[in-house]
Amino acid sequence: MIRCRRLGNPVAFSYCRIENKGLPCSMIMDCWYDHFMIEDFLRQELTPDEWDRVFNQPLKPKVLSLVELIEQAKKAKEETQ
Amino acid sequence: MEVKKIFLPESELPRQWYNILADMPTPMEPPLHPGTGKPVGPEDLAPIFPMNLIEQEVSPKRFIDIPEEVLKIYTIWRPTPMYRAYNLEKFLKTPAKIYFKNEGVSPAGSHKPNTSVPQAYYNKVAGTKRITTETGAGQWGSALAMACAFFGLECKVYMVKISYNQKPYRRIMMETWGANCVASPSTETKAGQSILAQNPDSPGSLGIAISEAVESAVTGKDSKYSLGSVLNHVMLHQTVNGLECQKQMAIAGDYPDVIIGCCGGGSNFAGCAFPFVRDKINGKKIDIIAVEPLSCPTMTRGPFAYDFGDTVMMTPLLPMHTLGHSFVPAPIHAGGLRYHGMAPTVSQLILDGLIRAEAVPQLETFQAGITFARTEGFISAPETDHAIAMVIREAIKAREEGKQKVILFNWSGHGLVDMAAYDAYLKGKLFDHALPEEEIHRALNDIEKLPKPKQYKPGKI
Repeated sequence: MIRCRRLGNPVAFSYCRIENKGLPCSMIMDCWYDHFMIEDFLRQELTPDEWDRVFNQPLKPKVLSLVELIEQAKKAKEETQ
Repeated sequence: MEVKKIFLPESELPRQWYNILADMPTPMEPPLHPGTGKPVGPEDLAPIFPMNLIEQEVSPKRFIDIPEEVLKIYTIWRPTPMYRAYNLEKFLKTPAKIYFKNEGVSPAGSHKPNTSVPQAYYNKVAGTKRITTETGAGQWGSALAMACAFFGLECKVYMVKISYNQKPYRRIMMETWGANCVASPSTETKAGQSILAQNPDSPGSLGIAISEAVESAVTGKDSKYSLGSVLNHVMLHQTVNGLECQKQMAIAGDYPDVIIGCCGGGSNFAGCAFPFVRDKINGKKIDIIAVEPLSCPTMTRGPFAYDFGDTVMMTPLLPMHTLGHSFVPAPIHAGGLRYHGMAPTVSQLILDGLIRAEAVPQLETFQAGITFARTEGFISAPETDHAIAMVIREAIKAREEGKQKVILFNWSGHGLVDMAAYDAYLKGKLFDHALPEEEIHRALNDIEKLPKPKQYKPGKI
């Protein structure tokens, strides 16, 4: 177990590995690099596309993330109506 | 007799918050809307935030009045006491004077109500009837639940399922204050339903919980959303702490040479540090340290992108090295240049050289927390232990240099509902050393039964 810096409670590696909708948490390297060869492991586990989706995405300002979620929620609302 | 606690009378409670945006050496620019390419404006955020908070988010005013109704509630626990950590000083045999600001005396046990209360107030004024939010372990959710109770607002909290199952006491706190707390992913939103359709046993994530909370705010009647960190108005509200510290340091007859706070999203750090950053901008010599968890050193060496400044969509380059236990991390101060989810203002001030970032490994933080508990008595929140670890480093450095420095740190919350984390540490279940091979295989076996992404192929250890 390590303490998850996002959640604030202990988590096992199995959680970090699938936290991001089945893909690893984008901070998994930060949290696990000192415990085992995490990069080697993930290079074998992930396709190049999956690797890019997890680790090479542009960091978004929080406000932008919220704007995107608002747009998604508006669509969900329209579909419901 | 030595004076242990420095109190401020309620009449000295600050009447204004301090807005660092007015003094930023590098002005903050609004991010660009991904759809229009124009700066994000108030109307873009209006579906989830009331206009009075959006105005604060972008306000250039240096000081903003604290409403009387908020001050009345602040007085339940504010002004908070500042302590001199004599016992810790003696234990460390340091000539340094160590002061800590006790933000754990709020009813929710942390600094979080400094912003949850004004956010609930401004929502109430704007006509909001219901506020939604997400929470991990529950510190923010419980603070917002309490604030909503004060203003008669309905509070809906989406708590990440893995935390919901692990942290029943925080959930019970939220429910005691009248909030409706559900495990995320839930069946109540399209975002949650979509995740559950793919994986009914999903343990959830903060990302999913945020999606649910925002959707619930957008689709719910008279509903808005509230965030406990990162945003400018959150940092603003937290400065009531640092403004009190300035008055208390004056009463003590000291001024800090070093200010330390733990830094995740940045709000507790900013609250204590920003008023002193202003002093530093105006010529004071202060070492202001934001402490974060240790990160992968290879991710701290290359070019960096910042959460706040990504308006040109810089992609972070992540040169990956093969790392193992034998790897000697590079000096971690470089880690301060890469922040996921940290407040843009804090990140920019680090870039401007007004704040420096340091990182400490997990076990050192818990050891520091134990030392603090056994000398000063208080059991700290694990996040707060990061600050204490850095205080101990700085106090030892002062001893070695023979300097009588004045160190001030923000004791951001107690750990009385985090005892499972201490238990794990004391039983040797937390570690920051190499994972034994059998433990790796056990972890991989754990995920074997879970749904895998497409093109999954198992790796070899």
